[in-house]
Amino acid sequence: MAVAPADRRSGLSLLRSHWPAWLDLFGWVGRISETRYWAWLMLLPGFLLISVVIFYPVISGIWLSLHEYNLLRPARGQPFVGLQQFIDLLDDEKFWLSLRNTAYFGVFNVVNPFLLGLVIALALKRAVRGAGLVRTLILMPWFMPSVVAGHMWALLLDSRLGVINDILVKLGLLESYWPWFARTETAMPAILLVGLWRGFPFFALLLLAGLQSISQEMYEAAAVDGANALSRFRHITVPLLLPVIVVAITLRTIAVVNSPDLMIILTGGGPGLATHVLSFYAFQTAYATFDFGYAAALSVVMLGILIFFTLIYLRVAGVDRD
Amino acid sequence: MQLSFRATQRLYRALTAAVLVFAGIFALFPLVWTGLTSLKQNSDVITAEMQYLPHNPTLENYFELWSRKSFVTLFGNSVVITVLTVSLCLLVGTSAAYAFSRYRFTGRNAALVGFLLIRMFPMVLMLIPLFIIMRNLGLLNTRIGLALAYTTFLLPIATWMLKGFFDAIPPDLEDAARIDGATRAGAIVRVVLPLAAPGVAATAVLTAIAAWNEFLFALMFTTNEASQTWPVGLHLLVGEEFNLPWGLLSAGGIISILPIIVFFVLAQKSLVRGLMQGAVKG
Repeated sequence: MAVAPADRRSGLSLLRSHWPAWLDLFGWVGRISETRYWAWLMLLPGFLLISVVIFYPVISGIWLSLHEYNLLRPARGQPFVGLQQFIDLLDDEKFWLSLRNTAYFGVFNVVNPFLLGLVIALALKRAVRGAGLVRTLILMPWFMPSVVAGHMWALLLDSRLGVINDILVKLGLLESYWPWFARTETAMPAILLVGLWRGFPFFALLLLAGLQSISQEMYEAAAVDGANALSRFRHITVPLLLPVIVVAITLRTIAVVNSPDLMIILTGGGPGLATHVLSFYAFQTAYATFDFGYAAALSVVMLGILIFFTLIYLRVAGVDRD
Repeated sequence: MQLSFRATQRLYRALTAAVLVFAGIFALFPLVWTGLTSLKQNSDVITAEMQYLPHNPTLENYFELWSRKSFVTLFGNSVVITVLTVSLCLLVGTSAAYAFSRYRFTGRNAALVGFLLIRMFPMVLMLIPLFIIMRNLGLLNTRIGLALAYTTFLLPIATWMLKGFFDAIPPDLEDAARIDGATRAGAIVRVVLPLAAPGVAATAVLTAIAAWNEFLFALMFTTNEASQTWPVGLHLLVGEEFNLPWGLLSAGGIISILPIIVFFVLAQKSLVRGLMQGAVKG
């Protein structure tokens, strides 16, 4: 895949000349491929794997949410408790706080990167010199392990050695170094900054692809009719980009609601419960206390939230129509 | 305010340049800073006066990381698990994607949507039952167990991406090969796969990066150092020491993104195209 096209062709034809002999050995595969079972045979491994690693776990997760099950108390078994754990949720202050934090985190961790990504996509579309380089470079934050990204920002914002603190103090914006992740009022905004950094490339790239699919002629026609840049943006770009915008936003929302990585790495849900989101609560309940039943109930609530966004996605992306 | 056409153009050009410069700096600054920190001795990290450029640049941190026994284990685990995940996703995904692309059968659309919906399931919801299954099968703390767990979210994406690439190859080419006497399987191997090679490569790269980066499953499904992956090891390194070894951590961060950069350079173009296919239909 790294070789130049000319090399690839000669390499492939070299390989191709070896293939007939190889295929004769497996002639029976060829014969089966001509029967009407072939499509099903090709689908079979995928469906088997998906059933084992996805369908079964999801169903058994929902089943677990109706049962009490703590791995650390094997003697109690798995008694059926019906909706009891969901009723417990209603009385659980942590749950309501997590729900509120999830909404806060979900909204801003999607809207901020979206706005920045949109501005950058508009700039990238103008195809000035160096735009291609910037387009490649900005993908780095997106493709970085969350652990490494988390450490990078923990270092940048550290309360004793953080370079951002140093810069802010030197600029006179801050009196002394500030422990961003350790204070209730700045922990969530600091996480949102990391989320912005990780999230904006996704939007920039997706929106750029959407922008490039809008035909240039429309803009020219509108310009001839005397529309200025702002009204061209409002009446051409926004409506034609809207499907891509909605798809990008729902996909990102799902990813953001789903992932407790940043909280695990940076704050552990704290300080206090300032960054305690639902995905973190569910993970923590399973990972630290092994209360699988309650964790499953929390996940089922998340499933409900995610299904809501999924339905929007399906509507707009039109994947159910072919 | 009315600006002349030329003044507007100049303003736009300046704004574009400013946005792109900002984007580049914002994206790269944390990386550059981590790179600089990885070259500092610990005494130069913890100073009264912030050192922007390392006064005594050194590769000490990289050597120390390399000499730690756990590092080789963690790195090796990550490599093996990534290779297993990619192989599994490509083998199974190619086969399913081809069937979705070329055949029309009852339930096809439902199955396709199903494949897409899978990534909307909460990871945590899968985490718990998968943990129980893996414990019962003795797959906890094994590489193949983690690779299997990764297929839960990677196989559907890989299949959708591959289907997009197969859709772009005209069926006429296969038909021609079959008229010349090739079986369908022969046509797949000789015509479709070579033509789809860049797409398959892009799918492999994307799967590899995701598997390499994965954190949540790896944290839950491994309990001892011998089976942990690189991101988990890096995370736990922070947990156990009070005075954070920032130089070491930074070196670890830089090492773990090197493979990603290499992958990226290899398959950038088709990677971007494939990502679009996975995210927006068509």
